[in-house]
Amino acid sequence: MAITKSFYGRSLSVLVVICGLTACTPETEDKKETETKVRPFPSTYKPIASESFVIEHATVLTGTGRQLEDASVFVENGKIKVVGNNIYVPANTKRYDGNGKWVTPGIIDVHTHLGVYPSPGIESTQDGNEMTAPVTAEVWAEHSVWTQDPGMQLALAGGVTTFQVLPGSGNLIGGRGVTLKNVYARSVQAMKFPDAPHSLKMACGENPKRFYGSKGRAPSTRMGNVAGYRSAWIKAKAYRKEWDEYYESVGSKKEKDKPKRNLQLDTLAEVLRGNILVHNHCYRAEEMLIMIDIAKEFDYKISAFHHAIEAYKVADVLAKENICAAVWADWWGFKHEAFDHVRENAAMIENAKACAIIHSDSAIGIQHLNQEAAKAMAAGNKNGLSLEPKTAIAWITSNAAKAIGVSDKTGSLEENKMADMVIWSHNPFSIYAKAEKVFIDGALMYDRDDQNKQPVSDFDLGIIDPQGERL
Amino acid sequence: MKSIIKKAITTLLLFASATIHAEDFLIKNATVHTASSRGVLSNTDIYVSDGFIMQVAKNIKLKSKHTVIDANGKHVTPGLINASTQLGLVEIGAASSTVDYSTKNEQQGASFNIAPAINFRSTLMPQNRINGLTRAIVRPAGGTSIFHGQGAAIALLSNEQGLIREQLAQYASYGIAGANISGGSRASAYFILDKALEEANYLRHNRSQYKPGFDWHFSQSLQDLDALKAVLEKKIPLVISVHRSDDILQMIKLAKKHSVRLILAGASEAWLVANEIARAKIPVIMDPILNLPDSFESLANRLDAATILNEAGVKLVFTGIDWQSTHNGYLVRQSAGNAVAYGMPVEDAIKAMTTNTAEVFGIKNYGQIAVGMEADIVVWDGDPLELTTNADTVLIKGINQPMVSRATRLRDRYWDLKDIPNKAFIR
Repeated sequence: MAITKSFYGRSLSVLVVICGLTACTPETEDKKETETKVRPFPSTYKPIASESFVIEHATVLTGTGRQLEDASVFVENGKIKVVGNNIYVPANTKRYDGNGKWVTPGIIDVHTHLGVYPSPGIESTQDGNEMTAPVTAEVWAEHSVWTQDPGMQLALAGGVTTFQVLPGSGNLIGGRGVTLKNVYARSVQAMKFPDAPHSLKMACGENPKRFYGSKGRAPSTRMGNVAGYRSAWIKAKAYRKEWDEYYESVGSKKEKDKPKRNLQLDTLAEVLRGNILVHNHCYRAEEMLIMIDIAKEFDYKISAFHHAIEAYKVADVLAKENICAAVWADWWGFKHEAFDHVRENAAMIENAKACAIIHSDSAIGIQHLNQEAAKAMAAGNKNGLSLEPKTAIAWITSNAAKAIGVSDKTGSLEENKMADMVIWSHNPFSIYAKAEKVFIDGALMYDRDDQNKQPVSDFDLGIIDPQGERL
Repeated sequence: MKSIIKKAITTLLLFASATIHAEDFLIKNATVHTASSRGVLSNTDIYVSDGFIMQVAKNIKLKSKHTVIDANGKHVTPGLINASTQLGLVEIGAASSTVDYSTKNEQQGASFNIAPAINFRSTLMPQNRINGLTRAIVRPAGGTSIFHGQGAAIALLSNEQGLIREQLAQYASYGIAGANISGGSRASAYFILDKALEEANYLRHNRSQYKPGFDWHFSQSLQDLDALKAVLEKKIPLVISVHRSDDILQMIKLAKKHSVRLILAGASEAWLVANEIARAKIPVIMDPILNLPDSFESLANRLDAATILNEAGVKLVFTGIDWQSTHNGYLVRQSAGNAVAYGMPVEDAIKAMTTNTAEVFGIKNYGQIAVGMEADIVVWDGDPLELTTNADTVLIKGINQPMVSRATRLRDRYWDLKDIPNKAFIR
């Protein structure tokens, strides 16, 4: 996927060109790759060692639009090796009987606040919204993540293997989001999805203007919101230019003075360089179209609109602009901008050949994303579409992976993808379906039939019964 | 002008139709979830006349005029009821001018009766009923008193015929919410609840002494204490929102002391004291999908809580889903479905969103597919708990409801994204 490749590709190619012109030394190369482009807090995630295995005789939804019957999935070294019927598997490979069961890619949620608004929700754990200024691009959600949020294990039991933690929507630009693997870890770095791009959380509409307006400061209107985004991007553009010119001058006779670093503008400049993906909370159709024009004005790309209640009104535009719409199946009415909800939203987005995603924004919803997708699919079908599980599963797997820039690594059952996958007791679009086994990079991280394979957070230990666990 | 008159006439007819005699219907060949001791009946017909269920049997033959609803391969349940909503009391949550479920008036706690504020023409009514919700308990939310006031039962009709019964139950909160409103401690909340009930009891026996102009000293306003009379006389239940297991035991003790009919609401940790609740014959209103330890009073929340309570013999009534239990009150069936996925028998789950709720709140002639019941009936195109299932036909009090809501109007307008400028003229 273009966006993912550009994450390293773009900055490297600039470097190559510059070096070509100036015959730079390794030292200057370092200099060029430091400062604004460097990525601190790198991922230390290591897949848990796993044995090879095969799931046999299962119904397999690949996430690429295919449904295979009586099929096998062979996993080796944490990667998917073969998906298909009558496949060859080395002797002594561990076998899981998938008879009557369904296999899907691991579920991906592009919108959660797990860890930053954890359970229990008490005053000391409200770490998701830095509402001290309308633009806080300098904050990173990962610095708030409490890795012991018991909601993570519950999401795992719902088949969720990857999730994007976003800052809240109180600000116009709320900060960086982070994509995590749903694994137990002592540090957030050890959960960080390797080589996943950061995201930038932006928010349209009621939330920023309500909060800052009530404080008697800008923005207090939607037009104030737009002025706020544009002012930020003007600064970001100038900052990026300053640094890019400095990088270009490094090693030359006219090496420029090193510009002063600014954390907020670091983030925004990386968006302009294409290395951070924009995830934009935006309900109303006209606001989405304004945001698309802002992105064009400042030459950045919007990866997905979130909570896109009115996406169905502009699904053709979203298809043309290649912007995903992440929606709920049916939440509505809590705000005016959520009033024009239709149950067919995701189905209508899909029907317009745009990228539909079902997201949760809820520590309950994230446990049942399969059910949410089922409702959204059925609503479309009731009005005359013929959507099938093989298509709708993409709303919570491959389309989600695309939006967060990891679709070359996970989100579908294809050769050499990470073996992030779920064995379901039934068709996952059934209310009776439960995730029975959940694999992350080929490691069995959750097994409904084996209590010793059900992770327990630190929080859950001894909290109700000193000798027991919470569940 | 002409179209205005036409519209006025159709509107009149629409509302008139609710008051005139309903059509007769024969629902044919359905799988009927009766929510009664008859259980599930296959290939069964239901005869509806004058708004009531007249017959439930195989191969019903009728001579009188009626409309046939073919339900071959389909399922029928009683119209669903959600046991805890604010339907008619809110249009848009964040638009305060559309919100009537709570009051800041300090004179109104227990006396706050939400019934006059219910807006039956709310867009939430059609959106919920076309998805199978035909009735709801409408409750007040917390204002300035630990007593929230009195709820009502409604049918989801778009006119005042929808009000089934007002002053149906009294609501209060304990635990964190109760403590917050009482000064910061559960102990204060307990004191205030206890004292209010004691004073209300005193007052009901000495009411004649307290006349206008008299100086009285009670912890609640006189009208609030008067409102608790119905609770003390066991005419209506007292619904207390409470979660922690020991808080639940305290409320059971309090109810016993004052001899009131308690209903537990929320009750995240009720399963830990399931036997005590069953023994005291106290019903529980719960949303079975809620399993987060989202506060320190809900640490033991779990997905099989409904199953554990049900097995212990506790009468369960369901609400849901999550915080969308008003705008999406029909999704109580998703919550119920999750209870089934985690062990509750299907028919018990259906009862928890039909007949149990009727019984617990004293709603007559509703909640089962049985002779003599009002004809609140949903024909589903599949298993009523599956989320890939939708409602095909919805009868409320025997009236066939148009399957249209503001949301379906928007859907139809934008279903095809060609010819946008002319969308404005699509009606």
